[in-house]
Amino acid sequence: MYGWHLKILRVNLTTRKATTEDVDPKIARDYLGGRGWAIHYLYKEMDPAVDPLSPENMLIFATGPLTATPAPTGNRYMVVTKSPLTGALAHSNSGGEFPTWMKRTGFDLFIFEGKASEPVYVLVNEDQVEVKSAAHVWGKDVHETTDILKAETSDDARVACIGPAGENLALMAAIMNDKHRAAARSGVGAVMGSKNLKAVVAMGNKNPPLHDTEGMRALSVDTSKNVGADVKKGSNMRIYGTSYVPQVTNTLGILPTHNFLQGTFEHVNNIDGDALKNQYLIRHTPCYRCPLSCGRLTEVPDGPYKGKGEGPEYETISSLGTGCGVSNLAALVKANYLCNEYGMDTITTGMTIAAAMEMYEKGYISEDVIGMPLKFGDHDAMIAMIKKMAYMEGFGKDLAMGSYRLAEKYGHPELAVTTRKQEFPGYDPRGSQGMGLLYATSNKGASHMEGDVAYEEVFGVPVKENPLTTEGKPELVKHFEDSFALIDSSGLCVFVAIRYVFSKDRMIWPERLSELMNLSTGAGYTPAEVMQAADRVYTLERMFLIKAGSGPEHDTLPHRMLHEPLPDGPAKGRVVELDKMLPDFYKERGWDEKGYPTQEKLMELGLPM
Amino acid sequence: MMICVKLIANYREQLPPEAKNGVVELDVPDGTTVYDAISKFDIPLDDTSVIVLNGLTVDMSTPLKEGDMVTAFSAIAGG
Ligand code: SF4
Repeated sequence: MYGWHLKILRVNLTTRKATTEDVDPKIARDYLGGRGWAIHYLYKEMDPAVDPLSPENMLIFATGPLTATPAPTGNRYMVVTKSPLTGALAHSNSGGEFPTWMKRTGFDLFIFEGKASEPVYVLVNEDQVEVKSAAHVWGKDVHETTDILKAETSDDARVACIGPAGENLALMAAIMNDKHRAAARSGVGAVMGSKNLKAVVAMGNKNPPLHDTEGMRALSVDTSKNVGADVKKGSNMRIYGTSYVPQVTNTLGILPTHNFLQGTFEHVNNIDGDALKNQYLIRHTPCYRCPLSCGRLTEVPDGPYKGKGEGPEYETISSLGTGCGVSNLAALVKANYLCNEYGMDTITTGMTIAAAMEMYEKGYISEDVIGMPLKFGDHDAMIAMIKKMAYMEGFGKDLAMGSYRLAEKYGHPELAVTTRKQEFPGYDPRGSQGMGLLYATSNKGASHMEGDVAYEEVFGVPVKENPLTTEGKPELVKHFEDSFALIDSSGLCVFVAIRYVFSKDRMIWPERLSELMNLSTGAGYTPAEVMQAADRVYTLERMFLIKAGSGPEHDTLPHRMLHEPLPDGPAKGRVVELDKMLPDFYKERGWDEKGYPTQEKLMELGLPM
Repeated sequence: MMICVKLIANYREQLPPEAKNGVVELDVPDGTTVYDAISKFDIPLDDTSVIVLNGLTVDMSTPLKEGDMVTAFSAIAGG
């Protein structure tokens, strides 16, 4: 086989022993790679009921068959584990350079088990694997840790690590790689912290052998040309990255504002892509070999929020910005830098602070408890809360548990805008019904990255769907969930994959993607086969959720989404009509009316009964 | 009647200098449609653009009313 190394590195942190093992080629083919392989091993080897922060939880880093190949954006990995935030599955994606370097060690997957007795990092230099003391970097932020570990290993190495938030087991802790890129969601950094694993350092020269190197190169060049043509015409993703999106969602009235009390933000012009570009942009920064290059190096050159880093992305603007009612761009950019340095998911961080702001304004949490006033729009208080969360200081201990646990503790669970205890991303589903169905059913709790139907409902890719209707949304959500499971398993970035790689005519059907996978692996997939494999991955994840106690009874939305109509904007008066979509969605997925995969479906997919 | 056209992100380059925050006010005759309003700008009228009326998905032949806002942005990957 090609494309995959068919090799797993397993590190038991308790015994500090590393072992390697081969992957059965049939498993490789059936589960695609990346996210698919990871759920196969997680489901097979781990009791889904384990405590996510116990040594029994497995932490899996997973690359796909297109990672470290010439395929455009073949630079991704997935972090898969049981989430301490949701109690469901975590699968968080990241790009940059580390994933490519990880694959070049000669392994497709790293599996970390157990718990080290003291802080360690794992250095993987091809077959040489060392578990080394991390005492000297424990307590240091992501940037310092990365610099120190590169200096003491090699400039040719790449680093994935946690910051103070992960060490302190904050439930929004991310795993950061290459300093600025995040496997952000669901508390994967806390799992790493619970294992006393500060960092993973990867280096090597083992590019995966390809089934058809020439064919791969030709198709990759052809695909990249399409990206290049759009960039030349002036692609928003190149000019602004995702920071152009607030204007779009504000126009549609689905920009989360003040903890989802509103769908439009009156100061949106202060914090949109143009403001960021005109004031703080230095240059574009691509992930490894990306023809689109949507990342941005920015700098606030002086003043109280002075700093330099990457971003912010849209999801940060809609959480730490509009979610908290913050319109001071310099402060928002600084907050983003701090989250990256402390290693935190900006969505859960921002929306938890937003929930706390609402509770403060309604008098449910006092100034005494918080230690300061915490009104919507108070950017200095927002920044102060981020530090408290990362270091678990005072009220920060409550915040670090996420908005669901916070709102429950202070007697108002209805103010947490979460599903499966994970905070919503930046699309208010009352004005984007398909997103509502997605959040309600997602295997990792509310997340756009589980099957972003906003592509159609909001961005018109490949066609514009009316976001306010429920018709056709069950099929659409299922199709996007499977498509994203496929992309996450392949090792590509969704931004480029959906628009440019799936098919030549820009439909969401993986003709060209399956061809790329064949050129890489020689597996001879048809487009229908890779979609079925993605369905297999998604359904097995659902089985994991059911066994973890996060099954169909959690397929719902918070009170605000079902019972409080949006008060403003084009979606004014709307709630999510979940009951109109959920039964058909279950049918589409081949699940019974209660939401359990049927025996027939499991048999069709070759999954354990 | 007066209507507004808002262009987002890269489309803003096409706005006249008096536009503010991407919005320009236009005096148009009765019966002007979404299509007519957006045709005044060099916006591709195919599936590479998204055009909404007051934030809502509508047919391009929809006639405009006083105070309406037509918004256009290029259809591309989201966030
Ligand atoms: S599109 Fe953006 S996030 Fe995706 S690989 Fe390229 S630079 Fe990275």
